Amino acid sequence: MLLDRPVDMDVPTAEIVSIYRLAEYYGDPLSPVSAVFVRSEGDFPCSLIFLQSEEDGQTLVDLLLSSQCGNILLEDIPGEIRDSALAEGGNIILSAFLNAVNELTSGVASISVPSAAHDMLGSILQVMAVLFGQYGDDALIVDTSLRVGESSRSIAGKIVLLPDPGSLESLFGKLRVF
Amino acid sequence: MGKAHHVGMADLVVLSSPETLVTLGLGSCIGLVIYDSAARVAGMVHIMLPDSGKSPAALEKPGKYADTAIPALIEEVCRKGGVRSRLKAKMAGGSQMFALPGAPADFLAVGSRNSKETLEILKRLGIPLVASDLGGNKGRTVEFSTETWMLSVRILGKGTTDI
Repeated sequence: MLLDRPVDMDVPTAEIVSIYRLAEYYGDPLSPVSAVFVRSEGDFPCSLIFLQSEEDGQTLVDLLLSSQCGNILLEDIPGEIRDSALAEGGNIILSAFLNAVNELTSGVASISVPSAAHDMLGSILQVMAVLFGQYGDDALIVDTSLRVGESSRSIAGKIVLLPDPGSLESLFGKLRVF
Repeated sequence: MGKAHHVGMADLVVLSSPETLVTLGLGSCIGLVIYDSAARVAGMVHIMLPDSGKSPAALEKPGKYADTAIPALIEEVCRKGGVRSRLKAKMAGGSQMFALPGAPADFLAVGSRNSKETLEILKRLGIPLVASDLGGNKGRTVEFSTETWMLSVRILGKGTTDI
């Protein structure tokens, strides 16, 4: 539940993608998106990104703020406050996802403060490509989609998990995959 | 305007006038153009990381690292008719999309390391840098025309600037 609205999350899928194809992987690299980035340190060090179309990102911000700001008009709220709300919304969603992962493995993790950006999809994906590019030519992407709220004003988003090199082996070890 | 050639991550493309070089959504990466307008030839490389550390991967994808990309680009431009002493450079990119207080200093600052390394190598190899648009926290889409020899830089919400 987020803001008293049900959150529906798909089963995550994992894929190995060439970093050189990553910029076009989720669609038109020029389309505007909202992204929230966090780092998690602990038993399973990784980076997480919550990706939304710019439109859905702004709808999420409206929902978060309208429950807090009483009589203040949404359009009077400064951009920095909106970005801070976006970062917090993304942080809640990413933390919930990460907690679920860590519960499976009874791992312990700390999560950084969130950082929000509005930019072209291709530029955001490039951050991921570069994180993986330091170690090789492939990226491992754990990807899930979620929707907040009922049909009338539902918001879609994507969680992308980027495990640090080596950290996936420790996760699999805990899950006794090997 | 000629045909547009897309330069993907770690790609190196050299072509002749009147074609156009395009790279979409540069974040921390660098779009570096080296050209000889008299010979009507230009090349672009999409640099991802500053230093190959002599990694064998650099042989396969020299465009990935600044230290291997720049010599490879110069060589290719000269092979297609460019004259070494006439070469000029323009570049854009090297931004930092996310800022995390408390994160290891160079974890997300690849952009500024890319810019610094590229500028140093150009200087060392004696290629004059005519124009650049570097840093900040926004992504850039860049397009280089081999008719006007201008690099057009588009930033989401800020419009287009020709440099």
